[in-house]
Amino acid sequence: MNILTKNWDKINPLDINSYIRTGGGYESLRKCIREMNPAQVVDEIEKSGLRGRGGAGFPTGEKWELAANTPAKTKYFICNLDESEPGTYKDRVIAEKNPHQIIEGLLIGAFAVGAKRAFIYINGHYRKQNEILKVALEQAREKEFVGHSVMGSAIDIEIDIFQGAGAYICGEETALINSIEGKRGEPRLKPPYPPVKGLFGKPTVVNNAETLANIPFIIKRGAKIFSQIGAAVSPGTKLFVLEGAVKNRGIHEAPLGTTSQELIYNSLYGGGIESGKEFWFAQIGGASGRLAPAGKLDQPLAYGKSEYTLGCGSIFVVDKSANIKDLLFSWADFFHRESCGKCVPCREGTYRLWEIAKRLKKNNLQKKDIENIEDILWTLSSTTFCPLGNFAAVAWNDAMRMFGREIFNIELGESEFV
Amino acid sequence: MQIKINNKLYEANPDDTILAVCRRNGIRLPVLCAHPDLLPSEGVCRMCLVESNQSKGLVSSCTQKACEGLEVQTETENVNRARKINLELLWADHAGKCASCKRNGRCELQSLAKEYDVDEFKFVPRRKELESGDELDLVKDNWSHVAIDGKNSSIARDSQFCVECRRCVKICRDMQTVEAYGMNYRSSKTNIGTSFEIPLDCIFCGQCSAVCPTAAITEKDDTAEFEKALGDPQKMVIVQTAPSVRFTFGEEFGEAPGTFWEGKLVAALKRLGCDKVFDTVLGADLTIIEEAHELIQRVKNKGPFPMFTSCCPSWILYVEKYWPEFIPNLSSCKSPQQMLAPLMKTYWAQKEKINPDQIISVSIMPCTSKKYEAQRKEINASGYRDVDMVLTVRELARLLRKKKIDPRSLKEKKFDPALGVSTGAGVLFAQSGGVMEAALRTAVENITGEELGKVEFEMVRGESGARCAEIGVDGLKLRVAVVHEIKNAKNLLESLKKGESNYHFVEVMACPNGCIGGGGQPVPAGPAVRKARIAGVLARDKGMPIRKSHENPVLKKIYKEFLGHPGSEKAEELLHTEYVNRKT
Repeated sequence: MNILTKNWDKINPLDINSYIRTGGGYESLRKCIREMNPAQVVDEIEKSGLRGRGGAGFPTGEKWELAANTPAKTKYFICNLDESEPGTYKDRVIAEKNPHQIIEGLLIGAFAVGAKRAFIYINGHYRKQNEILKVALEQAREKEFVGHSVMGSAIDIEIDIFQGAGAYICGEETALINSIEGKRGEPRLKPPYPPVKGLFGKPTVVNNAETLANIPFIIKRGAKIFSQIGAAVSPGTKLFVLEGAVKNRGIHEAPLGTTSQELIYNSLYGGGIESGKEFWFAQIGGASGRLAPAGKLDQPLAYGKSEYTLGCGSIFVVDKSANIKDLLFSWADFFHRESCGKCVPCREGTYRLWEIAKRLKKNNLQKKDIENIEDILWTLSSTTFCPLGNFAAVAWNDAMRMFGREIFNIELGESEFV
Repeated sequence: MQIKINNKLYEANPDDTILAVCRRNGIRLPVLCAHPDLLPSEGVCRMCLVESNQSKGLVSSCTQKACEGLEVQTETENVNRARKINLELLWADHAGKCASCKRNGRCELQSLAKEYDVDEFKFVPRRKELESGDELDLVKDNWSHVAIDGKNSSIARDSQFCVECRRCVKICRDMQTVEAYGMNYRSSKTNIGTSFEIPLDCIFCGQCSAVCPTAAITEKDDTAEFEKALGDPQKMVIVQTAPSVRFTFGEEFGEAPGTFWEGKLVAALKRLGCDKVFDTVLGADLTIIEEAHELIQRVKNKGPFPMFTSCCPSWILYVEKYWPEFIPNLSSCKSPQQMLAPLMKTYWAQKEKINPDQIISVSIMPCTSKKYEAQRKEINASGYRDVDMVLTVRELARLLRKKKIDPRSLKEKKFDPALGVSTGAGVLFAQSGGVMEAALRTAVENITGEELGKVEFEMVRGESGARCAEIGVDGLKLRVAVVHEIKNAKNLLESLKKGESNYHFVEVMACPNGCIGGGGQPVPAGPAVRKARIAGVLARDKGMPIRKSHENPVLKKIYKEFLGHPGSEKAEELLHTEYVNRKT
C-alpha cells in the first residue's frame, strides 16, 4: 500500500495541474471546506490514529484538538521541514517529488485548528526544495488554494516559507518556534506546549512534513481505511530511509509494524546486504537511534511501544568492515557540533565526548577517558534540558554495551535512565 | 496542596517551583543560574536537579512546578552524581585561577566545587589546551572563545571565568531593558558577549556584575591605583563614602545585611592610610538644597515637567542614549558624589591652604556607574578631575582583606567634620524613594515657609517598582513618582510620551530598590537582602537628630562662606551640569 510515494514519478512537481489531474489533488481540501467543519476534520484525524512522523510519534489528532480548543484570535500552523538527522532525507524527497501533498496537508491542518497563518520551516541546506516549494505555493495561490478566501470560501490561509539556518536543534518544535521569532534556536521549557502557547505566544501546531503528507489521503479515503493500514498502535505507512550496506539504498514506503529484518532483507525494500559484506548491526532512527544486533531485527517498527524507537525512520546498516571508532567519532562530532549550548551537560558533555572520540580514533585513549565516558554518557542521558543530550548518548551507550569490551576492554553497566 | 520533599510534607502553591518550596523551608539546593531577581528560571546549569516521582530522569527544581502527589528527593546518590559530573565539566571549562581571582572566596562555582570535592581537573582545561604548543592538534581544534573587555571605565569582562549561566543576559534584558548581552556562537563555542563582540557600551549599572556567579563580569578594578595613591607621600588621599555603603559594607565581613557600620567604615579607611574621610551624605544634602531650589524655579516657570532626579549616572546615561528628548527634564544638579568632590578641591582646599593638585579624591560607592560618571568630560568643575577614582564596596573590602585589615577589630571612628556632618534626609539617598522624600522635606518647607510637623513621607516609600503620590502644598497639588529598575523607568517614559501621565517631580534609580541594590554592592543580594538593608536605612534616618537637608549646619556655613545661595553663580558653576545627546 502506497500512500505517500504513489504518484511521485507521475507528477511534475513544478506543475500544480499535474498534481490535480494525477492524484486528485486538492480534492481533500475541497472536501474539508465544502463538506466538513473544522471539528469534523480534527475528529477524522484523531480517529485515523495518525502519529507524528518527526520522531516522537505524538498523536496528530490530539495535537490538533488541543490547538483547536485553545481559545485565541490568532493561531499558527507550522510544517516542520527542518530535517537534519544524519542519514535522513525523506521530507526532502517529498518536497522535491510532490510538494503539493505537503501544502494540501498544511492547508487542511490550518483549516482544522483555525489558523490563518501557516509556515513551512525548511532546512537551510534544502535550497532546491525551497525553490520547488516556492513555485508550488505560487501556483496554489493562483488557484486560490492559498491566500485570501480559499476556494471562494470565507477562509483565509496564508502560507510562508521560512528558511532555517540548518541547525539540528531547530527541528525540535520549540526551538523551531524560537527561530521563526528571530530568537536563538534553543528549546523552550515545556509546558506550556506549543498547541497552547507557541509562536508569538499563540496556539501553534508544528507537524512534520511527512505527517502532513498523509492528511489528504486520510480525508479522501476516510479514517477507517487509514487506521486499518499498518500497526494497530500506529497505523499508516512510513517512509523508511535505508542507508549503509544494503543493496537498495534509498527511500522505501512500508506499513508501520514492518520489522527491520524485512526492511533490510525483503527484495521489496532493502534487498539484503551488499554482496561480499557481512551484517554487523543496524542503527534505527538516525544518528540518535539505538543500535540493533542481528538478533533484534525481528521487532516490528512502530510508534508507541517498541524497544527500538523508530524515530524519523532511517535505518543505517553497518557491516563488519566498518570501523566502530570512526562511527563513534562521527556521532560525537555531530552532536557536539549541534548542541545548542544552553545547558551544561550537553554543551560541555558533548564537547568532552568529542574530545575523547578524537583520541579514540587515533588509538590514543587515556586511562581516565574510559571512566569519563561513563560519567558523560550518564549525565547526558539523565540530566539535560532537552532530548538532544539524551540522543547524543544513545548510540554511544549501546556501542559501549555491545562492543565496550573489544574497544577498550571495558563494559558499561545498565543505566537506569537509559 | 502539599508536596513531599525528602519524605516530609510541605505546603505548596501550583505556581511554586520545587526550588521555591525548598528555599522557603530552608532546604538548600545548589544553583548557578537560578537567582531570586531573575524569575522564572530557565534550567540552564543543571545543579538544582532532584529526583521526582513524576519523571524518569532527574528534573531541575528551578523549573519544575509543584503538583498534586509530587514526591521529591534532593540528596540521592544519582542527584549528587549528576551535580558532581556537571560541576566537573564546568570546572574544566573554567579558568581556575582562584588565587588571583577577584571573586576568590565569593565565587559560587568555587564554593560548589568545594562542597562537591571537585579539586582536580578531570578533563583537560580548554585554556590549557590553547597554551600548550606541543599539542598543536588540540590548539587547532580549540573551541573555546575568550572575550576580554576592559575598554570601559566601569565593568570588566573576562569570559574564561564564564559558566554561561545567563544571569547577566536576563538581568540586562528583563530588569534594565538594555540587552547589552546575548549568546554568541553555538555548542561548546557558546560565549556570552555583546553583539558582534563590540566593547560593552551600556548604561554601566553593573547589575550583571552583581549577579554573576563567578568573576566573568566584575567591577573594573581600581584597587591598584588606590594603593598607589595611598603610598605616594606627595599626595593627600581624601575619601568620600556614599550613603548606602555604611549599610552594606558589613556584609563583606560577615555582618547581617542592613547593619549600620559607619564608624567601622571610617576606621577601616583611616587604617588604610586615607588622610581625610568625608561623607557623601553632605553632598546629598547639598543636592537636595539645589534640587529643591530648581523644582521651585520650575514651578514658577511652569516647567518643563516632570523634573527627573539626576543622582543616578546610569539613569542619566539611559536618557542620553535612548530618550534624549527628555534631557531638558533632567535636573541640572550633579549627583552627591560630584557635588561634594569639587568642594573638596575648592572650598576645603582653600580653607586648609592645600594645593588641590596634591589631593587625590576617592569615592567609595555602591555603584559601577559612578566610575563612569567620574570620568565624564564635563565633570571638572574645580579645574581638576573632581573625583580621581571610584571604588565599589566590593573593591574596598577586597583591598582590606588583602591588607589583612579586619574592620570588626577596629574601633569606630567619625567622619572628618569639615565635610562630614550629615542629616537623615541625606542618608535616605541610599534607597529608592529617598531622594524624593528628602527633597519633599526641604521643598515643602521652602514653599510654605512653615516647619513640617511630620517629616516622613510614607507615600513615597515601599518596594514596588513604581510608586506615585499627590502632595498638597500651599494650594499646589504636587504630583510625584518614584521608580527604580530601568524597565519601570521605560514604562514611565513611554506613558509620559503618550501623554497618559504627568508629574511634577520623578525620582529614578536604575538599580533595584535604589543604591542599596547597586551594581557594586556585596554579593549575593536579592529581594530579602535588600529589604534588610532598607530597614537599616530607615532606622538610621529616624534616629538622627537633624533630618532635613537645609538644616545641615555645615552646609549653612558653606553657603554663607562660599556658595552664596542656592542657584547662585558659584553654585551653578560647581554644582550643576549639562547633558549630551548620545543617541546613535
